[in-house]
Order: sequence, then C-alpha cells, then structure tokens
Amino acid sequence: MAVETHGTGTLPQIKGVKDVPYDELFVSGHRTCQGCESALVMRHMVKASGPRTIVLGSTGCMYVANTTYYTTPWVVPWMHTQLGASGSAALGTAAGLKVLMRKGKIKDEKINVIAFCGDGGGADMGLGAISATLTHKDYNCLVLLYDNESYANTDIQLSSQTPYGAVTTFSPSGSKKRLMHTRWKKNVPGMLAAGHPESRYIAAGCAAYAVDLMNKIRKALQLGGPTFVHTLDPCPKGWDYHPQYSQELGHLAVECGIWPLYEVIDGVCNLTGPTRQIAEGRKKRKPVYEYLKRQGRFAHFADEDVEHFQHEVDKMWTEWLIPGVIPFTVAAKDQTILKIDKKPLHEQKTA
Amino acid sequence: MSDVKETSITVEVVYRGIFQKTLAQRICRSIVLAARKRGHTGTAFARYGDSPERNGVPAKQFAVVAINNLELEASMAKYEPAVVDVTIAVDDTLVKGVESWAWYGRQPIWKPIRKDGFLLVTSTNTPDEVLAQTDTALRPYTLVIVPGGASFAGLWVFKDDHTDYRCLGALAKVLPDWVRLEDVKALIKEQTKDDGAVQSAQYGYDGAKRRPVKAGEGTSGHEVLQFEKPGWTTMRPGIIVNARKPGERNPQYKKYGARTLRPVVNFDTCIKCTMCWLDCPDECFEVTPEGHYEVVYQACIGCGICAQVCPVKDCIVMVDELKFEDNEDKWQFWKKDHDGYNKWFETKSGVSANPQVRTPPARQEGSGNANPSANPTSASGGDE
Amino acid sequence: MAVQVKEREHQDVETEQLMSGCEAIAEAIRLADVDVMAAYPIRPYDGVMQAAAKLIANGKMDVEYIVADGEHSQFEIVKHACAVGSRVFVGSSGVGWFYAFEAIAVTAGLRLPVVAICGNRALDDPGAFGTEHNDSLAVRDLGWLLPWAETAQEAMDLALMAWRVGEDKRVSLPVAIGLDGAFLTHSQQIVKIPTQAAVNKFLPKFDLGDRLLHPDNPITIAPQVDQDWLMEIRMQNDQAMRKAHDVITEAHAHFKELFGRGGDSPFLDEYMTDDAEYVVFGQGTLALPMKVAIRRLRKEGHKVGLVRLKWFRPFPTQEIVKSLSRFKAVGVIDRDYSFGSPYYGGVLYNEVRSALYSLDKRPTIVGFIAGLGGREIEQPMATDIFEKTKAAAGDIKSGDTCHWIGVRS
Repeated sequence: MAVETHGTGTLPQIKGVKDVPYDELFVSGHRTCQGCESALVMRHMVKASGPRTIVLGSTGCMYVANTTYYTTPWVVPWMHTQLGASGSAALGTAAGLKVLMRKGKIKDEKINVIAFCGDGGGADMGLGAISATLTHKDYNCLVLLYDNESYANTDIQLSSQTPYGAVTTFSPSGSKKRLMHTRWKKNVPGMLAAGHPESRYIAAGCAAYAVDLMNKIRKALQLGGPTFVHTLDPCPKGWDYHPQYSQELGHLAVECGIWPLYEVIDGVCNLTGPTRQIAEGRKKRKPVYEYLKRQGRFAHFADEDVEHFQHEVDKMWTEWLIPGVIPFTVAAKDQTILKIDKKPLHEQKTA
Repeated sequence: MSDVKETSITVEVVYRGIFQKTLAQRICRSIVLAARKRGHTGTAFARYGDSPERNGVPAKQFAVVAINNLELEASMAKYEPAVVDVTIAVDDTLVKGVESWAWYGRQPIWKPIRKDGFLLVTSTNTPDEVLAQTDTALRPYTLVIVPGGASFAGLWVFKDDHTDYRCLGALAKVLPDWVRLEDVKALIKEQTKDDGAVQSAQYGYDGAKRRPVKAGEGTSGHEVLQFEKPGWTTMRPGIIVNARKPGERNPQYKKYGARTLRPVVNFDTCIKCTMCWLDCPDECFEVTPEGHYEVVYQACIGCGICAQVCPVKDCIVMVDELKFEDNEDKWQFWKKDHDGYNKWFETKSGVSANPQVRTPPARQEGSGNANPSANPTSASGGDE
Repeated sequence: MAVQVKEREHQDVETEQLMSGCEAIAEAIRLADVDVMAAYPIRPYDGVMQAAAKLIANGKMDVEYIVADGEHSQFEIVKHACAVGSRVFVGSSGVGWFYAFEAIAVTAGLRLPVVAICGNRALDDPGAFGTEHNDSLAVRDLGWLLPWAETAQEAMDLALMAWRVGEDKRVSLPVAIGLDGAFLTHSQQIVKIPTQAAVNKFLPKFDLGDRLLHPDNPITIAPQVDQDWLMEIRMQNDQAMRKAHDVITEAHAHFKELFGRGGDSPFLDEYMTDDAEYVVFGQGTLALPMKVAIRRLRKEGHKVGLVRLKWFRPFPTQEIVKSLSRFKAVGVIDRDYSFGSPYYGGVLYNEVRSALYSLDKRPTIVGFIAGLGGREIEQPMATDIFEKTKAAAGDIKSGDTCHWIGVRS
C-alpha cells in the first residue's frame, strides 16, 4: 500500500489484538486520572510507531500529568513544546533530522517524528501552525491531536471541541442560563483534510478501537510527509463518569454517529469501524441520549437539549456530503457539481 | 484538652482527587466558617501541587483557624503546613499511604499529625481493621472512625450524602475549643435549611469511635518509598531527565496509592483475549508463560477498565483495596497452589472461582457517581 | 529592497563586498554551515532571509529554509531543529519579535543555542519601522545573550561569535544580535568576507552531547516541575550566563587572531577616551553621529569621548566600572524607553547607574532618550547631549534627570 516508506523501515498493518507489539514505550507511573483514555492513546501511539521515534508533547494533560514532577514515563526520547506549537515542533524536528542526515552529520535512517497536542493546543491555539505544517510536504512528521473535549489540564474549560451544552468551569449550568456553551464542535479532521491536498494522510480515530487507531498511526508514519490523526478521548474527569466506562463511552460516541471514524489517504476518503457499518446500513445508529445520559457534563440537559443534539448529529448523517467529514451539501438543482467530467484535459471533448 | 495558649489549629483533609474535591472543599470551608461564629479567623486552601487533580490520586486541602489575623500569618503563603492537629481521611484506603506525585514517596497518613493529634477516617470498618493497614505510629495519636463509607462524586455532580456534616461533627468532638458542635450545627442549618443535615453532624459527633494509638502500633508491611532530590550541580543541564529504560516502570512514581479498588483475576476462566492488557491506561498487565494476563499491583491504580472490558463474567472483579496487605503479583500463587489461589480469589471477591457455581456477584460496584438523575448542585467543582 | 549579491567564483579567498547588515549576516550563515532557518516577513530584519534564499537557490549553502506561518512558529521551528542537533538561524523585528516571545523565553529556559538577529524596530502601536531597542531589550532577563552591532562588518563578526559562544557547552544559551533598523539592516557598507577555512578554525562542529534529542540518546526534556525544582534549574541558567563573560573573552581573542578584527575589549569600544573628561555611553549605530560630534568638539578643545557597549547581556559590569569611573560625567544615551522607571530613565541609564552604585568616586551619570522611532541623531542633538553631560559634571544629583533629545514640544 505504501509507495514511499518513511516510517521505521516497514510498519505493517496490525492484523488483530494478538499482533499488537508487546513492549511498552510509555510505561506505568504517570500521574494521569484513573481511566484516562488519552494515556491509552499515548501508549498505543508509541506501540504503533516503535522505538525509533521522537515524540514532542505540547502543554496539556499528556504533558503535565505524565511528567509530574520532574519525572517521565517515556522510554523513547520526548521533548516538551508550547501549547500552540505542535505543528512547529513536528516541522522543526523533522527538518533538523533531514538536513543533518543529508549532510552526514547524523546517521541516515528512518526516525518517526510525532508531535501530540490536546484539543486546546491543536484545534484552537495551534491550529495555524498545524495547518502550516501540513503544507510542508517535504518533511516527515505526524501531528496527533488527543481530544478530551476540554482544556482538561486546567481543570476542564471549554474548547472549540467541547460538545454543545456541556458543563465546564467556563460553562457552568446556572439558574439563569442552563447552557452557557452552545457552539457545535469544530470539525478539525475534515477541515484539515479538505484544506491540505498535499498531506497524504488525515484520520479520525478512538483508542476504544485500539487496533484501528494503531493502524491509522502506522499508515500516517508509513506514507510520510506531514500527516494528522485526531482521536476522541473519553475523559472521566471532564465528562464526569466512573473511570471504568472509558472504553464503553468511546464505543457509544462512534455507535451514536457523533464521532465518525475515517481516514483520507492521498485524497481518497474511507470510513472505518462501526462508522462504516452504519454507513453501509449494517448497523443502526444509536440515539445520542444513550451517550449523553452516561455523563455528568450533560446532567443538566433538558429534553430540548437532547433533541437539538440528536438533530445536529442526524444532519451530519442525512445532509453532509460525507458524514462527519465534509459538511457541505449539494442542492438538488445543482447536482451537476457531482457529475463534472473528471477526464484529464487532453481527453476532454470540446463543448 | 488542648492547652489554652494555642493560638491556632490546622486541619488537613486527605482525599481522592476529583472524586472528593468538592467534599474536601466543603469540609475545609465549613471549619473556618464554623470557627468564625465564635470570633476566630481562618483560611482554607487546596494544596497547589495537587492541581490539576487526577481521578484517584491522593490530594490535600487545609483549614487553619486562628484567634486573630496576626496568628494566622504564620500559616499563610504556604503550600502545605508542616504540622497539623487533625488529619481527616475521607477514604479509609488512604491509610495505606499517600503518594501524590513523583519524588513525593509513599508517606504515612499520620506524617504531619502532631503528637497527641487526631486522625479521623470515614470508614465502615472497625478502628482496629483500619489501624491494621496504617503505618506503624512513631508518636501517639488518636484514631477516630467517622461512620460511613467513602463518598465519591464527579466534578459536576456532587453526591450530597452528608459525609461532610458527619466529619464536622466528629471534628467538633476532638477540637471543642475551636470548632464547637453548636456552631457547626448552626452553620449547616444556615447553609442547607435541612434538619436532616444538622442531625448528621450530631451523628458524626456521637457516632465517632475513638481509638487512642500508641507509638509502635500499626503495620510495617507497607513499602518504604522515599527519595533524596538532586541539586543544581547534579541535575542534568538543559532540564533533562533520563528516559525510562525498556521494561522499566517509573521508580519515582509508583501510583498504586491512587486505588480504592483493585482487580483480582480468575485465571481459570480467563480466555486470554488480551483486552485487559490492551485497554489498560496504566500498562499494569503482564503476560504469563501460559498466556494469561496478571496484574502488576505496583502499577495498578484501580480504574476498573479491565473488569469492564473483560468479556468473561467475573473473571476480573474489583475489590475493596483495604482487604489486601501486599502488592505482589498473584500468578505465582495460582501456579504453585491452584486451589489455594482460587480460595483466596473467592474470599477476596466474594465470587466463586468455579464458573458453574452461580453466586450473586458481590462486585464492589465503583460508586456509580455522575448519575445524571442525581440533582446537579451549583457547587462548582472547578479550580477557583 | 532589491538585494544584489554579486556572483562570486568559488575560491576560498577573503573578499570585500558592498552589502547591508542583513546581507552580511546571510554571509555569516553560509560560512557557519547553518542547517535550519525559519523565515517570516517583517521589516526591517527580513533582508537577511531574502539574501539567504538567494544563496540557497544558487547552491551557495545547503540549509532547510522553512517559511513559517508566523513568528511564534518561526522560533519554535528552529528551537526544535536545534534540539536534534541542527545549527540554526532565525530573526524578527518589533512586534514580530514580540509575537514569538513565548518561544523566545522557552528557548532560553531550555538553554538551546539558537542564534537570531533582531532588526530593532519600534513596537506598535502605532506601526513604525524605525529603530528602537525595546524589542530585543525585552528579553534581557531571560538568558539570551544580547550583543549590538554598529556596522555591517561587526554584524557579521558578532554572528560568528554568536554561534561560537552560544554553542559552547559551558554557556549553551541563545544569542540575539541587535541590528538597528535601516541604519544597519539596510544601508550597504564595505564588508570583508572571511575565508571558509578561517571560519572552520573559529567555529567547532555544533555538538549537544548527551543533551541531543535522538533515539540513540533517550531522554525527556523539560518535564513539568513544581516549587521543588525551579530554583535549581534557574541556578543552572544563571551559572551559564556568568560563564558567558569568559567564553566571550576567549572567543574574542581567537577571533582577533584569525580575522584581525574586534578591537581591544570584547565588550566595550572606546573612542577618544584616553584623556576624556566626560563621555557618552550607548549601543548600536547612534555611536556613528556621536563620533562625528566628538571629532568636531575635540577641535573646539572639549575633552569628550565615547564608550560603545557591544554586549548588553552578559552586562560587562566590571569592564564598565573600570572604564566609566575614569570620567567626570557620563551621558547614557538610550534608544529605548522605560516608562515609569527610576528617574524615568532608559534601560541602559538605570543599568549603568546600578553598576557604578558601589563606587566611592562615581562620575555623574545623566540619562538621554534619543532617536526613538529611528529619528536620526543630528549634530545639534549630539552637541546638546555633550553640553548637558558636561554641565552635570561634578554634581552627582544632576544626573537624576533623563533628557528627551530632539523632541518637538
């Protein structure tokens, strides 16, 4: 599948749970919450990439929690970067390695460069730098956005990725205003896929589907160039559920059609996991209430809030060109847009 | 009882991060507000290094009451008082030791308590059962069991089960010169208008079981975990720490103190599907020669995911941490003494190791906090 | 600003070129075999990036040249390239420099020897691209070494010094060279371009040793800390800055030996001070009009001189004390402002007075704010400065004022 390998030699797709590498490159003894899905993402991320990897971590839970205080759970070389600098950290590291190898100042070999960021760091402050990085096609680096849907490391404030209506300390539910936060979640992977044609791989994943996520990370590293993976990470603290249900909430988010799993490889979009089954009609989307009722951040929801939430998710599945990916639609009268003659110039018949 | 010349008292609440953040906050604020009623002043503050709190990781908040602002100054601009008069542990598993972050080590629950101070513990166990899990005392103190189990809630939905009122009542019992019962009850009445809440304070006052502890009492079974911090001449330049070696777990932060429940595994019914190993956010499972997966209890923080994702009913059961004395891995035990292990599994989990025998699961259901039906109170759980 | 870099055949001989300060820095980049640069446009510094782009396009140097999406990204990109062992270059001006400030602070904290120029430019608002020193001065407490150049030649020389000193293991701190906007970044001057062979003798290979971020050297860089660790980490940075003084002195001697330039002191450039009674003190291109005034006033019998500061950080306290204590009065000229500071004086003024505080016999030190927004220091202003400095001689108290020079009232 890979035309040009940039990963650690070959990073074959993982066939099943028994095929997942056993060694840990992100080890026990990190001060994350009980049931922290983002910690699981970190663990699977470096399992997928393997030891010849440099990880850059921007400020957020996965920086502070993991290295509190003056310690580390990382086996692979890791370096902190600023909240909005994941894109630049990936780019600078990749560029440095590339020229040093070209000039023979260090050994020429495949070294994976992964910069992670939270939703605050990636979807808000650092989106500009990530977008810039995804245009620099000469540098091999993966930006991984772990999305726990809040600025969790500062005790849960809303970000552009916080779901409609959810309680955070910046959006408390009060007697005067039941919902302080009424923006719908910004569609980051879809936006980045649409906006950066030269990025060869952009995907949306979730650690509740561990093998799917690890394979997406491997495809990104294997294809090379600047790539992006966005994971939805249930967060027991911010979402307010008992930690034992982290995986279940990941499954529900996907099964309710709220968080579609997909990948865009060299411009070709592909739905994966239960999202694909829902799209193919082999699986029925669950009502969003199944997901919302499990979380204290939605405990204040009135029926109309649940209905609005369901309506927006339904729109994604009934009106978007590609559910969860491309929010545009094409009016009935403009269907020609979808039937444009796609033959190359020299093959086109003159009008 | 406390000598008159004392000009201030310090109370610390040791609790499970996030699960009991709002609870600890309510207790500390109420101590100051109750003492205010008789003209004292005071301050309440969380321990800055605990923030941002992490689910389960032990954290502390403090209340200092002083006769006047002058005397209060000695307790200001501090992260953590060196000495406290009273520690209130609102989850009895905390008596197994407090480890809050790397290089902190595992500290005995009574470490800051002054000689003849008090250790209040909310528990449904007897004082001696709790004492059996508490580090051997270096100096005398009084253990006080406040009746009631651990009260857990989420960040947004506070489960108002009166634990704070009971603790305040028990505190009034041990520090009557500073926190009077009638002030506590008056405060609660003002805040809640609920006579039931006031009665809970009375119940805490009456029901608290005192158990004076002499130096030498308690257990020496817990691991000693202490560190000497390097200085600027020995710290690596460029803010660099050594990475973890392959196969090593972080020696500077064990983190098992963050657990109130631990998973016990029934190796006989395990179908070796690896899901527990795959989905553990803290890398606690290790494969055995037979292909089973055993828990490394030095690393487990008791989140319960393994028990949830395990496809076999009751193959992994979450059990009250206070029922265990050691952190040893259990596969060797199962290998050497199969029946002995299964017996141990049954006594600990209350579930038969034999899948054919139908016994009602006595699984220690993690307190189903954040149940949306609970009434969301305005108690903001966020960081002030 | 059309940049003309003459095509040169490639023998390794010292040549002379007519070029701006920015273009001179680009030559230093070529000679230093820089590995990664990050560019972003803002006047007046980016001439260096235009010149460097030409050198790359014409195969004169092999550099990963990344055009960033903003100054914050610029400085983060080179910081991380440096962490994996690349020799790097970056730069900005005014509010662009400020947009990168988070990365600038962090780079010093990490002790990563990023070399930058700051084409000094007034900070907005209002927008203005004349020179003022507040942009790079704002870094003065964070651990960046801060030299200031007077000429294009010195700009290039200081750049080579910057890599040499910054990358020295005893120091390992970033360096930002101050180039006055327009007067130095743009005006073209005769510059001697040294040979590659000489530069190779002067600049050792950049080697982070066991601080290198690489799979063969597994480390964690910059874990989160609390109050238990920062006093020690800050002490390490303090010690590094203290060592920088001697490493600069060492490097300066070696530079003079190889290139024959640099003057007596690495830190101070003194002009007609041997018998001077009162002098002016300052940094950057303001020294040029002051020297013209000194020559004119000398003819009229005034014993005046100039002491120009070359390294603002590390502040050469002992050298300044030794030098300035010889005079009756010192007029410190600040091409910056420090609103609400002691006696409303500029940054240099208050630092010099602090350096001389403990002297038994102190010259009067009087302050001047001049040339803000790039306003030229004209001869009448220079004369005014010397007259006010002379008038203050002998009365220490009269130094407690800071005169704004050349302001329409």
